[in-house]
Amino acid sequence: MSLFSLLSVSASGMSAQRARAELLVENLANAETTRTPEGGPYRRKDAVFTTQPAESPFSSIFESQLARPDGVGVADVVVDNRDPERRYLPGHPDADKDGYVAFPRINPAEDMVDLMGATRSYGANVAAISSVKDMIQRSIDLLR
Amino acid sequence: MLDGLAGKLEQYLDLLSVRQRLVASNIANADTPGYKTQDIDFQTEFQNAAAGLAPHVIEASGLTVRNDGNNVSIDRESRLLAENGLRFNIASNLMRDQIRTLKVAINGGSGS
Amino acid sequence: MPLPISPITVPARIEAISPAIQMPGENRTAGEFRGVLEGAINSVEKTGAQAQQAVSNFLSGSGEELHTAILATQRADLAFELGLQVRNKVVAAYQEVMRLQM
Repeated sequence: MSLFSLLSVSASGMSAQRARAELLVENLANAETTRTPEGGPYRRKDAVFTTQPAESPFSSIFESQLARPDGVGVADVVVDNRDPERRYLPGHPDADKDGYVAFPRINPAEDMVDLMGATRSYGANVAAISSVKDMIQRSIDLLR
Repeated sequence: MLDGLAGKLEQYLDLLSVRQRLVASNIANADTPGYKTQDIDFQTEFQNAAAGLAPHVIEASGLTVRNDGNNVSIDRESRLLAENGLRFNIASNLMRDQIRTLKVAINGGSGS
Repeated sequence: MPLPISPITVPARIEAISPAIQMPGENRTAGEFRGVLEGAINSVEKTGAQAQQAVSNFLSGSGEELHTAILATQRADLAFELGLQVRNKVVAAYQEVMRLQM
């Protein structure tokens, strides 16, 4: 079952990376958002990954714990609750009484690099699925 | 039936499957904090397989650990992914050949 | 006519069977015929059971690899074909012997 459960593992990787990419894109889109429905500037979000056993609909409940492979999942979405960045812009509509505007603490360059990383990891998971499909097909070919 | 070389090939295919599964887990957890790259000692496990022992998962050595405790190298895992796939390809072709040869051996006599 | 057996995989069973297949006309005791046939039948039964078990394990998801199950079925296949050939040769040899003794 190693090969088939591998599909679940890589699928979990793809889901996790996609969730991470979505958050990064949201961060980038809101890098300058000073006003949110909850009040205050946009706060950066990050996904926390955790290792979790990959479930496969084909694996039986008798499959031992040792045999269950390590997939990944998003354990939590962490919101950056640090004090926002304050910039002096007295004319800004969201300026406070001292003329400071609260901006999100986001470094677009950093998140852009992270996004590239997420894309690359996503691609690696896709490659893994492709590889195992090939191996399964070759196993079937042993019947020819 | 299919002992000897074919038996070894089957063990080889088994180990490659296990290794590929670990590679997939490593790739899926490439960004998980604290995750350490898993692997098997292929040569040792291949010898152990003859004795019928199940493979033993170990932590891969020689990898740099990043700030979040993760030491997965996508380059290494991608390379292993391709390599394992190729080896599986070769082994399964050799195996198919073994089976065919044996079939011919069995049926060839009936042509007389 | 000798079987063109690959030197790499020559299980002992094939070695034992091949003399019987090679010389169908030779006078052999009934016991030896039966022994050879029994050996082939046992092999078919054993590999057949193993194949069923392997495929069943694979389908139920309890950890059997696909290639393991497939190879088990191939083994059963080969044992069956060999058993079939053995049976045919043994029957032919027996008939030959019977004819000679008339």
